Amino acid sequence: MHGKLETVWRPLVWDIPTRIMHWLLVAFIGICWWSGVNNELQYHIYSGYGALWVVVLRLYWGLVGSSTARFANFVRGPRAIWTYAITLHRRDTPHSNGHNPLGAVSVVLMLCTVLAVIGIGLFAVDVDSLYSGPLSGYVSFRQGRHLAHLHYTVFELLLGVIALHISAVIFYYAYKRHNLLSPMISGRPKGEIAHIPTLEAAPGWRLLPGALLAAGVVWVIDNLFYYW
Amino acid sequence: MALKHGIYILSLSLSLILVGPTLIWAAPGDSALIKSRQDKLRDLGGAFKAIDDELKKRNPDWDNIILPNAQTVQSRSSYLLTWFPKGSGPESRVKTYALPAIWQKADDFNKLGKTMQSEAAKLSQVAAIRDPASLKAQTIALGKTCKACHDPYRSPDYEKENDE
Repeated sequence: MHGKLETVWRPLVWDIPTRIMHWLLVAFIGICWWSGVNNELQYHIYSGYGALWVVVLRLYWGLVGSSTARFANFVRGPRAIWTYAITLHRRDTPHSNGHNPLGAVSVVLMLCTVLAVIGIGLFAVDVDSLYSGPLSGYVSFRQGRHLAHLHYTVFELLLGVIALHISAVIFYYAYKRHNLLSPMISGRPKGEIAHIPTLEAAPGWRLLPGALLAAGVVWVIDNLFYYW
Repeated sequence: MALKHGIYILSLSLSLILVGPTLIWAAPGDSALIKSRQDKLRDLGGAFKAIDDELKKRNPDWDNIILPNAQTVQSRSSYLLTWFPKGSGPESRVKTYALPAIWQKADDFNKLGKTMQSEAAKLSQVAAIRDPASLKAQTIALGKTCKACHDPYRSPDYEKENDE
């Protein structure tokens, strides 16, 4: 979209679904963290399901969503990652529309770690036997208690990945003068930037099958495993 | 000379017999006690979990799973309050989830323990009726008594490396 001045070009970087999924995941992880350490596990299970729903939907959107959300468009091999990483100290590197090769590593790492935390949590046993994971019936009390601890240990790893992600955003802002936060809120970069292509938006209706699929995954995990 | 030597050996032996066990008792005694408490609580949790898991099934096995485990929960819980003698907290230097508040607020702790015992006894009675919905409600009532005591008197999971 062109503004009044010819030089102002603010392409769309993130579509609305990607932005909403990003901030929903932030909210769900926040609730999970709070409810986990305060032993308010009735909220913990629901927020965990919420996070699972978002991640499954994000994986789906990574296959059929808008151009910058698609894994095929941003996940790069080791050589591309290395080529990008050695320019990290330079301030004049151009904006890329969407994830850069190093950011892509962070996205994949983030999704995998969140899935690992959720996956272990499904089998974790609550010491009060009130809010054990929905699949805890498949493990013994002792195994499930070990998994509850592992659930937290991997969560600590996730906190490390989140810290790395936030540090990178601060580094880009402070050192490279690239505001990465603004596009994740408004969808567009702030200020005047060089010409980069805008995203190819996927139609909104395409989100619906993914939302239903993700809800189906959560429902099956919550209900179906015990009905045979 | 021989007498002096004899007295010396006698007093040495006597002091070893008297003081020795106290030295040995101090640490490993508590350690065994705490270990045994953890084992018993784990059995209690395991029996409780077995009932909970069975209730998720379409056709719960009352005779082989639910009733015997409800009996285990009840019988174990009746000894619950004897598992926490003074000195078996963190001051024993043995790794334990038990917090000093157990002994600082002994009245409250004992009250919660007794509530748990009565809910555990009720669990056995309700199990005998063989109605899944009523038993499910009772497992929640019992679980709440576990939580009521664990929240103030047990270290949270994340503060410890693992259950022992």
